[in-house]
Amino acid sequence: MSKKSYERPLIRKLETGMPGKFGLRNDLTPATHIDNIPVAELVENFGSPLFVISEQTIVQTFNKAKRAFTTRYPRVQFAWSYKTNYMDAVCRIFHREGSWAEVVSGFEYEKALRNGVDGKKIIFNGPEKSREDLTKAIRNDSLIHIDHLDELYELVELSGELGIKPRVAIRVNMDTGIYPQWDRFGFNLENGQAWDAINKIVHSGKMELTGLHCHIGTFILSAGAYGIAASKLALLAIDIRNKFNINLKYLDLGGGFASRNTLKGSYLPGPDINPGFEDYAEAISSSLHNSGFSTEELPLLILETGRALIDEAGYMISTVIGNKRLASGSRSTIIDAGVNLLFTSFWYDHKVMPAQPFSLYREETLICGPLCMNIDIIRNSVSLPMLKKGDRLVIFNTGAYNMTQWMQFITMRPAIVLISSEGTVNLIRRKEDNDTLANQEVVPAYLSK
Amino acid sequence: MLKNLKTIPLDLYNSLLNSYSMVFFSRSHVFAGIMILVSFFDPVAGLSGIVAVLSANLAAYFIGLNRLNILSGMYAFNALLVGLGTGVYFQWSAELFILLVFSSLLTVFLSVFFEGMIGKYNLPFLTLPFLISFWLVMLAARRYTGLDISERGIFTYNEVYDWGGQPLLTAYNWFNELRLPMGLSTYFKSLSAIFFQYHLLPGILIAIGLMFYSRIAFILSLLGFYSAYLYYQFIGANFDELNYSFIGFNFILTAIAVGGYFIIPSKYSFLWIIFLTPVISILISSSTEFLITFQLSTYSLPFNIIVLLFLYLLRFRQGRKNKLDLVVFQEYSPEKNLYSQHNSRTRFRDFFYLPFGLPFLGEWQVTQGHRGEFTHKEDWQHAWDFEVADEKGKTYSGDGNSLSDFYSYNKPVLACADGWIEEIASQVEDNQPGDINIRENWGNTIIIKHLDGLYSKVSHLKKESICVEKGAWVKKGDKLALCGNSGRSPKPHIHFQIQSTPYIGSTTLDYPLGRYIKHESGRYSFQSWEKPQKGDILSNIEKVGSISRAFHFIPGQHLIFKVAEEGKADTFQEWVVETDIYNYTYLNCQETGSKAYFRSEQDLHYFTAFSGDRSSLLYSFYLTAYKVALGFYPNLQIKDEFPLHIMNPGPWKILQDFVAPFYLFIRSEYSLDYISMNDELDRSGITLRTKVEQLTMSSVKMISEGELFIGDGQIDSFSVNRKGRKITARQVKNRDEKIEEGKS
Repeated sequence: MSKKSYERPLIRKLETGMPGKFGLRNDLTPATHIDNIPVAELVENFGSPLFVISEQTIVQTFNKAKRAFTTRYPRVQFAWSYKTNYMDAVCRIFHREGSWAEVVSGFEYEKALRNGVDGKKIIFNGPEKSREDLTKAIRNDSLIHIDHLDELYELVELSGELGIKPRVAIRVNMDTGIYPQWDRFGFNLENGQAWDAINKIVHSGKMELTGLHCHIGTFILSAGAYGIAASKLALLAIDIRNKFNINLKYLDLGGGFASRNTLKGSYLPGPDINPGFEDYAEAISSSLHNSGFSTEELPLLILETGRALIDEAGYMISTVIGNKRLASGSRSTIIDAGVNLLFTSFWYDHKVMPAQPFSLYREETLICGPLCMNIDIIRNSVSLPMLKKGDRLVIFNTGAYNMTQWMQFITMRPAIVLISSEGTVNLIRRKEDNDTLANQEVVPAYLSK
Repeated sequence: MLKNLKTIPLDLYNSLLNSYSMVFFSRSHVFAGIMILVSFFDPVAGLSGIVAVLSANLAAYFIGLNRLNILSGMYAFNALLVGLGTGVYFQWSAELFILLVFSSLLTVFLSVFFEGMIGKYNLPFLTLPFLISFWLVMLAARRYTGLDISERGIFTYNEVYDWGGQPLLTAYNWFNELRLPMGLSTYFKSLSAIFFQYHLLPGILIAIGLMFYSRIAFILSLLGFYSAYLYYQFIGANFDELNYSFIGFNFILTAIAVGGYFIIPSKYSFLWIIFLTPVISILISSSTEFLITFQLSTYSLPFNIIVLLFLYLLRFRQGRKNKLDLVVFQEYSPEKNLYSQHNSRTRFRDFFYLPFGLPFLGEWQVTQGHRGEFTHKEDWQHAWDFEVADEKGKTYSGDGNSLSDFYSYNKPVLACADGWIEEIASQVEDNQPGDINIRENWGNTIIIKHLDGLYSKVSHLKKESICVEKGAWVKKGDKLALCGNSGRSPKPHIHFQIQSTPYIGSTTLDYPLGRYIKHESGRYSFQSWEKPQKGDILSNIEKVGSISRAFHFIPGQHLIFKVAEEGKADTFQEWVVETDIYNYTYLNCQETGSKAYFRSEQDLHYFTAFSGDRSSLLYSFYLTAYKVALGFYPNLQIKDEFPLHIMNPGPWKILQDFVAPFYLFIRSEYSLDYISMNDELDRSGITLRTKVEQLTMSSVKMISEGELFIGDGQIDSFSVNRKGRKITARQVKNRDEKIEEGKS
């Protein structure tokens, strides 16, 4: 039996909050293991901080999402949103499970190709696609989602030059009853810009209009908005068929499904109030079934959801650097992972759990990162047991956006490991070091003496 | 009209030969030739037979009876027997000729009469017209003084010498003195008696012809005869009946008719031949007693009575129908009947069944099957319960305390086939998990009427989720409601059953599903006309547009292929999609006249038959695209079998024929693999690989290998490797390329 860990004593006034089902005590289970691998062992082998990805969770979540849709709609295709997490290993898991790729830059496009994705199964989104990127996408017969008219004109020009008819869709933005309405991307439906773009595509004769795309926003807490979006998109598709006799092959509803994280400012925890795949699937497929397509001609439904598929599979392991009292008297714990690595802590109150056993006594704690910056706060206030230097913390639901939006700032970016479905631990991104940076830098000759 | 006249000689020839072979239920012209030869052992009888057949066929033709029936010999084979019989009794004369012509006319009348009278009971008229006609002619002839009674058979040696001189006489004597075992010689003589002969040689020739026509019929003739032979010895009956009159053949004909022609040959049909022997004997003895009053012989009366009684009896069976299978589509050969039936038993069950789909989208698991352990019992045993399960087999997430934890809950429930909404119940509250409602045990329910007497029912639907109305027409796959937990349902699931009455609570009908995909740990298997078992994970076949359009052949459509073969100049082949008056569709090859019959169902294309040139491209296509499911599942394999007699399996076939009623050791297997799909958005660019193998015992012989390439809604090309030839055919729009080649 291991020695019981020492906790320094604490005196505080008794606060009787809302009693739980079992009284006032709220026992929490320490996160000693991730997928049966001891956290301590992970840190020992790969250092701290450390990102951990669970393949098992990815596959389970993906199957859950797929099941929710395929038991409601006959033809569903997921396209892995690269920007959410484009670690090659992660992408390859999604591709193995049947996902296409959804990319928003030339860099991501290249990455998808290198991950073995057939050009025909790459969806090219985003407002910035260079002439070279577009040329490549046309040659590979990828699905190009046009964002603005200048891109449209460039495509007309390119398809003429190359003598290839690219397969395109337009991105449509619309009012789905949510605030803020995203209108930065694509063509607005209500003011007629979408039709303008469609007319131009069809009349150019240079492109094949294959589908329609929309992405109504991010972390959408109302499944009904997707129902509205699906209806509007389906109606537009039917109108296109009536006007041009073109049967669109797919409707791409984009992403934006909420994960289990709790948004900052949310009164209740995310898992309790955020819609799940079943809710989104019900809203979207009901709308499509009721939109006027016959059962036989229902278009392919493409989904680019990223966050909801990967968030739960990602963990951040961090180590306590030290504790202090703030001016208010409240406790602050400094850990070795900052907002430069956990970008999403600006958005969510991440669930945080110590990785070693603890007693039932806790205190509201502010968790700071190691940066010498005032904004480096992981959690403003979280009820945690007394932690001491060297203790480990596991931060949950960090799979989405962190491993792509992280910054090398003040500290180096840590390693990422993948726990395979079989339970083996695999390093999928090496820890950065000074050489990583130095290799990129050039010191002018006159300064290097 | 002129065109009609031109076909008359050929029609006459065909109908003549068929009339002879029809006596033994055959269509073999070789066999017919042997029988004509045998009939001329008595030249007058032989000539009379020909006169009778021609008279009967011409009469039928000018009266305007069905041409195909005339061609098949159906109206003339009775007249043939009358003619042969009459010819045996009289000397050749103009009077005999007239008698033959008009007795044939009478026989045609009787044939049509019996066709109408007993045909409506779906029974054949056999040789009843012959019996009546011949008895009448025999009775009448006693008063016809112009006819000379034949003296042949009295001064046999003189006649034989007259016909063929000393050599024939020597041969005749040799045969007569041939010491064959009693049983064997009686067998041959009984065979010859069918043609009113009573000699060894004709019998031997007929036996050879019979063996040539059908090995099974030959064995049946032996079985029929020898069971009679043994029975007569056992019972101590008058053995002369077999030996010295024309009635031993009753056993032989009955054996062929019951054992293999009207009934699929099997060990059961063989057993019945033995059981029927004593009955036939009773009929022979009694009818002989009876007819002796009129000085008439019983001829084939016992055969007619027993075969008709037995066939009639079989139609009243309520069970054990597969023990003695009646032949539905007559192919005029016990072998063909057997092989076709064996093949169609697995292939063409849908001719009788309505193809029901599954009432859901995606993959669901059978959590209670037929004769289930919970509620599918007794009168309600033929039902299925379906639930959605995850990869670990769990049907809910979380703790399963609320309905929304269950994957099945709130999922669309679909119409399993086209039909009218017959009945709806929609106001039953959903139970909390674990609770059941025994009072309204079916819960919210929809009944669809598909045909008269064929209904389907889905139960335990979510309250007020039903989105169809009573009386509405729904199509297969339309959404009906959502899966709920109402009625006797402790957790959300779909209860699905087929029933023959329109009520909620009706008992179930044991009915198979149409075609579906079974999922086994990431692998797919194609199922047709199966009843899924508990634990099976199923989904409907999701139709892929490009494949289904490629195999959607529209009558009138022309398919032109440019055929490339190594070492040969390219050729063009053109097929036309045609439909006959029975609504059978087929591809008709313009170059060879070959026909490949096919059926296109919602989710399946398959060929049913091929006739014509086996070296044609169409035959290669028939082998390659024998059965194609119109969906795409990677690595899915579809298997099927060809009927044995289609594939010409070589010398082993003869041995196989002999033992076929008991054991089939040759099989021709077809397999189709779904290899790849180039474009998953269009779902086109599909490669399928097929293989035809012949399995004899343990040896496997490759008959053909092929590949099909399906582009966007059409068969782009296919290649076949058969008999060492590799042919590649590419579909082209027209033959322009040919013209260009001609120019150069």
